[in-house]
Amino acid sequence: MPDALGYGAVQTLNALSFSALLLLNGLGLSVVLSLMNFVNLAHGSFFLLGSYVAIFWLGSGAPWWLAFPAAFLAAGLAGLLLDRFPFRRFYARPHLMQVLLTYGLSLIFADLMRWGIGAQILTPELPDMLKGVVFIGDMPFPIFRLFLIGAGTVLGLALWLLLDRTIWGAVLRAAVTDRGIVETLGIDTRRVFTVVLVLSAGLGGLSGALGAGMLAAYPGLDEEVLLLALVTVVVGGLGSFGGSVAGALVVGFTLTFSKVWLPEFANLAAFGALVLLLLVRPAGIVAPALRRL
Amino acid sequence: MKLPHQRLTRRLALGGLAATTLAAPARAQARPLKIGMITSLSGPFAALGESMRGGMRLLLTQSGERFADRPVELIVEDDQARPDDGVRKARKLIGQDRVDLLCGVIHSGVALALRDVVTEARMPTFLLGSANDLARRAASPFILRPTKTNWMLGSTAAQRTHQTHPGARVVTAASDYAAGREFVGDFATTYQGLGGRIGRQFWTPLGTPDFGPLLTAIAAERPDSVYVFFAGSDAVRFLRQWKEYRLAGRIRLMATGACFDQEDVLPAVGDAALGGINTFHQSPTAPSSAAFVEAWGATGKGLPGEFSTTGYVCGQVIRTATERSGGNPTDWPRTQQALFDAPVETAFGRMPFDPRNGQAILDIHVNEVRAVDGAMVNTVVYTFPQIRDPGPDA
Repeated sequence: MPDALGYGAVQTLNALSFSALLLLNGLGLSVVLSLMNFVNLAHGSFFLLGSYVAIFWLGSGAPWWLAFPAAFLAAGLAGLLLDRFPFRRFYARPHLMQVLLTYGLSLIFADLMRWGIGAQILTPELPDMLKGVVFIGDMPFPIFRLFLIGAGTVLGLALWLLLDRTIWGAVLRAAVTDRGIVETLGIDTRRVFTVVLVLSAGLGGLSGALGAGMLAAYPGLDEEVLLLALVTVVVGGLGSFGGSVAGALVVGFTLTFSKVWLPEFANLAAFGALVLLLLVRPAGIVAPALRRL
Repeated sequence: MKLPHQRLTRRLALGGLAATTLAAPARAQARPLKIGMITSLSGPFAALGESMRGGMRLLLTQSGERFADRPVELIVEDDQARPDDGVRKARKLIGQDRVDLLCGVIHSGVALALRDVVTEARMPTFLLGSANDLARRAASPFILRPTKTNWMLGSTAAQRTHQTHPGARVVTAASDYAAGREFVGDFATTYQGLGGRIGRQFWTPLGTPDFGPLLTAIAAERPDSVYVFFAGSDAVRFLRQWKEYRLAGRIRLMATGACFDQEDVLPAVGDAALGGINTFHQSPTAPSSAAFVEAWGATGKGLPGEFSTTGYVCGQVIRTATERSGGNPTDWPRTQQALFDAPVETAFGRMPFDPRNGQAILDIHVNEVRAVDGAMVNTVVYTFPQIRDPGPDA
C-alpha cells in the first residue's frame, strides 16, 4: 500500500460522508419518534419522494441548489396532508397500531410512485461544481461527498439549536412530557405536533435529495433507507439529539470499516458489533435523560 | 340456479354473427395454445420483469397472436422474485389455468425451485434464469433453456482479458450471492488456467448503499484491470461512484453484461459507463438482433437490454417449436427432437440446443460502451461464436 496515510484519511472521509447521510436520514425519523412517540414507517417514502423531486429538478435546468428546498417543501407538504389525515388520529394510539398504519401507507406510496414515475433507476445530474475530486495524498475523494458532510453538519447543528436552545423547542419537549399542562398554558399542542411532523417529513425529503447523488432512486429504496434510519436511531438512543448523531457516526464508521477490513463479512461484522453495543447499552449510546413522570 | 333465457337482442345477434364469420377459417385443431409466463412484476426485479413481458408481447403482436396458425393466449404471473411465490404461481398455471407450456423466470433461485415442480408435473418448460446448475445437476428432460449460463459470461471475460492484455493482474469485485460467486469463480478459474494473475477478491453485500470504501480499496491495490459483477441499482451506484472516485480511465473495467445492461443500467449512469467492456449474449448492435431492436424502438422504448431481448427470444423459440411440431408443441419428445435437430434463428443469433441438457449454445459478444449520438451504446467489438456450457461434464 503506497500511501497508508492518504488511504486511511480517505476511508475516514468515506465513513464520515456515509454517516452524514445516515444522520440526515435518521434525524427526521428520530424527531417524530422521540418527540412525539410516533413510529412512522412511511418515513422512507418521504426520502424517496425527495429523491425524485431533486432528480427532476436537477434535470430541469433550474438553479441546482433550489432542488434541496424544493424536495423539503414537497415532502413537507405530503407530511402536512398526512398529519391532517390519518396520522393525527394515531398519535395517542399504541405503537402497534401506528406500525400497521404507517407500514400500510408506505406500501401504497411505493406503488403510487412506481405507477407515476416507473420502475427504472434514476440518478441526478449533479452540477459541475460538485463533480470534481480533491486528492488526499494520491487518493481521490469526490467533492460531492464533502458537500454531504457539510450539509449533514449544518443541518444537524441547526436542528439541535432549534430543539434544544429555543423556546419553541422547549414547548415541544414539554408537550411530549405532559401535554395536559402545556394545554393549560394556552398552547395548542395539536399545532405543535403538526409542525414537528411537517419538519420530519421535510427532513426526509431533503435527505432524499442529498442522498440521491450517492444512492440513486428506484422503487425499493424507501425500504432500504428506512431500515438504515431505524438502525441509526435505535443504536444512538431514542429521545436525544446527541443520540442520533452518535448513532449515525457509529453505524457509518462500523459499516465502512467493516467493508475495509472484512469485506466478505461486512454486514455480519457491522451488525454483530451493533448487537453487542445494544447488549451493553440497551437504551442506545446516549440514554435519554428520563423526562417521563 | 337456472339461468334466465337470453333474449335475442340486436347486439347479441351481431356478436354471434361476427363470432361465426371470424371462427370459420380456423381449423378444428385451433384450440388456443395457452402459454404461462412467470416473471417478476414486483420486488427488486420489477423493471426487468416488465421488459421480459414486453419482449414476449412484441413477438406475439408481430405474429398476429398466432403460432403456426394456432391462436396463442399468454397468461403472465408475478413471482415477486421469491422462490415460494414462483412455485405457487407455477402450480396455479399448471393446475388451474391448464397451460400447455410454461416459460419465464428472472431470479435463478425461482428457476431452481420451479425445476422440480415442472419436472414432476411433466410440464414442457422454457426456463430462463442463469445459474450454472440449471444446465448441469438441475437439467431436466422437460426443460429447454433459451438463454445463457453464468459460466458462458465469466469464462469468456477471462479469455478476452487474456487475449487483449495477457499478463494483466486482475482484481475482482462482486455482489456476494450465488450469481456473483459463479461469475467471479468461473472468471478466476479460466483466467488462472490461461496463466493469468488474480489479485484480491472483494465481495460486497447485495444492495450496498456506499461503494466508497470498496473503490478506495481498489484504488490502493493499483491493479491493471478489475472484473466486476453488479446488477440493477448496485451496478448504477458502483459505476457512478467509479467515475466519482476517478477510477474511470485509470483502471481497465471488465464486467458481466448485466453491469452495463442497455435498458436497466446505461440510461441511469450516462457517461460514467463509457469505455466499459463486458461479455454478454445480448447487444443492441449484434447483427442478429437488428430487426428486433428496430421493432422495439418503434414502440418508443429506446434500445433493448437483456430481458426484453430474452422475452422476445423465448417467444421466438416457442413459435419455432410450435411450427416444427405441426402446431402441437405439447407433443414434447417430438418438439424437443425438432429443436435439437436444427438451430433456431433468434435475436440472440443462431441458437442450437445441446441435447445433453437442453441448454442453448450461444454467441457471446464482447461489448464496449461507446457514445453514439450522445447515448451510451453497448457496441460489439468481438464475438466468441457458439459457446457451449460444459453441462454434465463440469
